[in-house]
Amino acid sequence: MNILTAFETFRDELDDQQEKRERLIKTSREVTATAKKIIFLLHRLVSAENADSQGLHANAIKPAKKKLGELNTLFAKMAPELKGEEFWRHWRSVSPGLQEYIEALSFAHYLEFGTLASYHDVQAALTDADGVPYFNIPLSDYLLGISDLTGELMRYAIVAISRADGTLQARQVLDFVRGTYADLEKFSPHVRELPRKQDVTSASLQKIEDAVYAVVVRGAEYRGQRDDIADEIVRRYVAGLDSALSRGSRGPRDAGADDDDGDD
Amino acid sequence: MNAQDFAFIENALNADADIKENLRDEVHELEKHLRHMSGTLNRIHSTPRSEIPALLATVEPGFTQCRESNATIAALIPPNAYWRWKDIWARHLQTAVYVASLIEYLSTGQLLSLDEASTRLGFQAEWKDRYYIAAEDYLQGVISMVNELSRLAVNSVTMGNFEEPLKISAFVKELFSAFSLLNLKNDGLRRKFDSLKYDIKKLEEIVYDISLRQLVKRDAGDDK
Repeated sequence: MNILTAFETFRDELDDQQEKRERLIKTSREVTATAKKIIFLLHRLVSAENADSQGLHANAIKPAKKKLGELNTLFAKMAPELKGEEFWRHWRSVSPGLQEYIEALSFAHYLEFGTLASYHDVQAALTDADGVPYFNIPLSDYLLGISDLTGELMRYAIVAISRADGTLQARQVLDFVRGTYADLEKFSPHVRELPRKQDVTSASLQKIEDAVYAVVVRGAEYRGQRDDIADEIVRRYVAGLDSALSRGSRGPRDAGADDDDGDD
Repeated sequence: MNAQDFAFIENALNADADIKENLRDEVHELEKHLRHMSGTLNRIHSTPRSEIPALLATVEPGFTQCRESNATIAALIPPNAYWRWKDIWARHLQTAVYVASLIEYLSTGQLLSLDEASTRLGFQAEWKDRYYIAAEDYLQGVISMVNELSRLAVNSVTMGNFEEPLKISAFVKELFSAFSLLNLKNDGLRRKFDSLKYDIKKLEEIVYDISLRQLVKRDAGDDK
């Protein structure tokens, strides 16, 4: 074959892959943006309503679950371009959106059941109407999505604890995040970005520990006699934590996100 | 995480880690053969043109070893997992293309095609869902070969061979126009392509030096 003809073939192949990559990145970004909105929506829904006697919010989160289901349209759009060996070729383009989706899905799952969404739960959610998976979810994306969940749970616990009935939820979150941290630690050597994320989880864990400690210690002297004073003390303490949270540790990735999802 | 899920994930991660480790070991074997070959090929810079075929013949057995290594590697890769572990071998396949295409140029003066390179290195059509030479790795390897040819042009002159640089120059210019057909984005191949421009410049200077001093007949460049 003539050299120029051969290189024309290479050009077409490289161009096709590049265009495909751009399409996938665009859709993956849409997934990320929508998943972030769903996470904010979940926070709003559960802060507006008291939990049930088990500390769960199965009813409150229904609107968010519906939106999660709608995200399947975007995955269905990507699926045909990720068949066979194409999945791993373009995995890096798809992975950020997938992780954000897993974070949102597992957050909703926790609020509904108080448990961790298993790998199979997540895979089962990402299937078409006939039950065919859009693609096999890489374990690393599952674990990294779960790792991000702990940060959302920390925020959830801090907000919950400022309410009179929130101590139960905060303690449940504390146990859950502790357990998740321990489980993920054993997988850390296998997943490249996980050790760094474990540091973040560890920091979240300490924040929840400090908040629960504050509730126990600061409220103790009034609890049982003057619950209103106990609640107020806790509320003031936690308000300080909360504003430190929204100013400091959320980081630039969430900047402005509160502004553009007001219409959900 | 319940015990069942935990065990499932642990087993799956361990299985992946085993595959990866085995692949690394085998790719390391391939790398050894390739280093041996490219090490020997370094002698082209001090070997007179007439003795090049004999030198190339000593490198040839290396291909048999590469073909064996590649067969072992292909057997280790699960279906559809080429891109998952590509980083383990991509660099070495580029070297393999470099070695094979340099030998081809020195033997025939032609560019080794991707298909020819695949055959030379023992790639089988039935591995196409797991192990093959990707276009971008082939192109990287070809540019490495050009880098080496511009060195050879310099050293040919040193050895008193004034014809070789003209042939190399014509060959590289043709390749350069072929590469110019590609729409390269800002990635590894793009950076590698930029090195091609320096080779062209270097070759032009050599050709200029030779022509200026009339060390070679004016039309020698055309009958390559």
